[in-house]
Amino acid sequence: MIKSINKAGLDRLWERLAAAGPLYLPVKEGPAVLFRPWAEGAAAALDVTQATVSPKEIFFPRDETYLKFRREGEKLALAESGTPAGPAIAFGLRSCDLRAVELLDLVFRGQEPADALYGRRRENTMLVALACGQPDPSCFCGAFGINPADAPGADVMAWWDGDVLVMEARTARGEALFAAAGELLQESAAGSKPLAPATAEFGLPLEDLPERLKSRFYDPAWDRLYRGCLACGGCTYFCPTCHCFDVQDYGSQERGERFRCWDSCMFGRFTLMAGGHNPRPTQKERVRNRFLHKLQYFPENFGRFACVGCGRCLRSCPVNLDIVQAIRALGGETVEQR
Amino acid sequence: MAEHHISAAAKIRAAVAQDLLSGRISLLLGWEKGHFQWQSRPLFARDGADLERLAWDSFCAVNLSRYLPEELKENEKVGVLVKGCDSRALNRLVQDRAVPRERVVAYGLPCPGMLDAGRLVEAAGGWPDEIAEANGRVVLKGGGRESEVHRDSLLLDKCRHCLYPDPVACDQLLLAPVGNREAPDRFKAVEEREQLSAGERYAYWEKELQRCLRCYACRQICPACSCRECFVEQEQPRWLGKAYDASETFLFHLIRAYHVAGRCIDCGECERSCPVGIPLQELNRKLIKDLNALYGPYEAGLDPEREPPLLTYAPNDPAAFTEK
Amino acid sequence: MPAAVNGPAGQAPAGERQTSAWEPLIVAFCCNWCSYAGGDLAGTGRMEYPANVKVIRVPCSSRMNPLFIMRAFQRGADGVLVAGCHPGDCHYSSGNYHVRRRLSAFKQLLEFSGLEPQRFQVHWISSSEGDKFAAVMRSMTGEIKALGPNGKLRDRRWQSIT
Repeated sequence: MIKSINKAGLDRLWERLAAAGPLYLPVKEGPAVLFRPWAEGAAAALDVTQATVSPKEIFFPRDETYLKFRREGEKLALAESGTPAGPAIAFGLRSCDLRAVELLDLVFRGQEPADALYGRRRENTMLVALACGQPDPSCFCGAFGINPADAPGADVMAWWDGDVLVMEARTARGEALFAAAGELLQESAAGSKPLAPATAEFGLPLEDLPERLKSRFYDPAWDRLYRGCLACGGCTYFCPTCHCFDVQDYGSQERGERFRCWDSCMFGRFTLMAGGHNPRPTQKERVRNRFLHKLQYFPENFGRFACVGCGRCLRSCPVNLDIVQAIRALGGETVEQR
Repeated sequence: MAEHHISAAAKIRAAVAQDLLSGRISLLLGWEKGHFQWQSRPLFARDGADLERLAWDSFCAVNLSRYLPEELKENEKVGVLVKGCDSRALNRLVQDRAVPRERVVAYGLPCPGMLDAGRLVEAAGGWPDEIAEANGRVVLKGGGRESEVHRDSLLLDKCRHCLYPDPVACDQLLLAPVGNREAPDRFKAVEEREQLSAGERYAYWEKELQRCLRCYACRQICPACSCRECFVEQEQPRWLGKAYDASETFLFHLIRAYHVAGRCIDCGECERSCPVGIPLQELNRKLIKDLNALYGPYEAGLDPEREPPLLTYAPNDPAAFTEK
Repeated sequence: MPAAVNGPAGQAPAGERQTSAWEPLIVAFCCNWCSYAGGDLAGTGRMEYPANVKVIRVPCSSRMNPLFIMRAFQRGADGVLVAGCHPGDCHYSSGNYHVRRRLSAFKQLLEFSGLEPQRFQVHWISSSEGDKFAAVMRSMTGEIKALGPNGKLRDRRWQSIT
């Protein structure tokens, strides 16, 4: 089923859709774009190719309290807390973001025990993908076989035809969105559906890469690659597929709450053991781990690369150290390719 | 790239090659190009082949002095290219005893100010394929469009209010000085914010800080953040929780700014590094402005012999609280 | 971190705002040698000051770590006060000279972040100034009462675990 809406009518559409539950849209905050629940007056930054921070935070929030505890005599009383069960809509995800959700699904839902916190948000959230008309120079999703103009897995696929937003419902849930929008959407033909625009590919040697990387663990190229790394956690936080978290308590021994929050393998304390030993003692091991996780370990575990070519690390790393550089430095046949 | 930049890079290469190849220094910290013309990344050059990649253009914003403490663990003597701000960062590190000055060879690069990729995109109406500079103007080509803009309009925020584009401390000046600049608007944003009510100010910061990812890039890149263990990581007591509560984010940013108060060289690397563009320099400049007003003008990183305002006092100092 | 959780920018949690019996919580960090002794004198002299003030003794006003101040606000303080020896009278000769500079900078930074000036104060109170100690506590309590509960810099989870 295909329907459409003129750009000018979008504010009314947001209002209508947000009535039933949170409607996450890319919103401009300062120079950055983040997915935020729509609130009156907020303008959706649908023209921006990429949100600065990936939409993973819709399903995997920065922090999430899931347990409250209270000491009652000798016992500890526990109560679940947090995760909303209601429906939500994520609007304006790109093809690379959708692929990333697929990968997160493998981690959080594809193995036992499934992660209930992630699962609940994921199941309750409708995914509306938006085709990229013009990927920007840092985009290289094409290298991972992603079509910027079409996102499998979306409930609704949307694309711009001039000033008209055309939407195709691909699931029953997507059709429910059409029903909720009611008269705000017009019956429509597909219009000029965008072709798959070409993205940069950077000539990445991806074929058999996980296999080749097995012998590169002690490669001197890591030593060159990591040097500029500031050891901040930026890349892991705006990356759509990074999913490490920590579990922490807030409160006292009498009562408090337990939450999980984003954590980053770029931080030295990430692998620090209680006894003081750190198996990744310098930034070199941390950088190596991050890239090998994306390019070797994840493929070994799940048969897929954990990079979607969204280009966020190419755009936002303060010292321009990114995964393309890593693949080039270590993916080639020669030992000293820079 | 502008002609003078091409020749400048060659000049720099020639000047540092002798020191690197003769072994006077075992490592040179410079810049090399990233994937795009608007990107550069730190270069850690150890030989002639590395030096071939050395670049100097309008996108060499990363402050290299920040890498010195770490690299000096493995190298007896390190060479570093310093712009005006980087040279003050070097002074900062020397004054904080994080870097022994005699183990560093600083090559000075007077800096015309670095350009902001975001502003390029705005000016060009999309990502440019080609960026050319001549006579203070920048020509941007791409997507069938061509636009020409004044170079100053494309400067990074951190360069707009730069007072000392020429290195203030170096062993060798490699290019012709560009001369000191005026920065009359340096404290303008701070002054405007001061005019707001307390509630408006809190609302402003709450909005700006709510997108903070707590990646700590601002701290990591800072040449004045030289604690061996930051309060952020301390466990006993644990000062900062890992939840994204507004109060935790406020705590981090206020204390980060305060910890470098009087020592912040106003290089703006914190703000440039912030992936979500939080106006951190406003906090730093607020402290610089207040300390200057209360305890006399002081520019951190200019003179490593002069003590920062919060490390000293005078018996008749004024105070900013109600009671004198 | 939606703003709605903590109410509109920096407002105290709703429950607290509506309570008519609300009493401010003021944390006073007092130098061991002067202000804490000044508080003792106020006590032995039976001078009255509000019970809203919780005194924490520090060895010198220069012991103040701004993190103490942030933590107090995070965990429910409506006002924070630092009291030390008069400049020139420091038991360690220069502690309060240093802290005068540090807290001047920090106070203005707090205000820049949106905190009302009354909520963080610094006073010099000597060991013989029991009357001043009581007067400062009274005036600050009055000022904070007039301002109402503080929600700024407050951890939104604090109320639920106390």
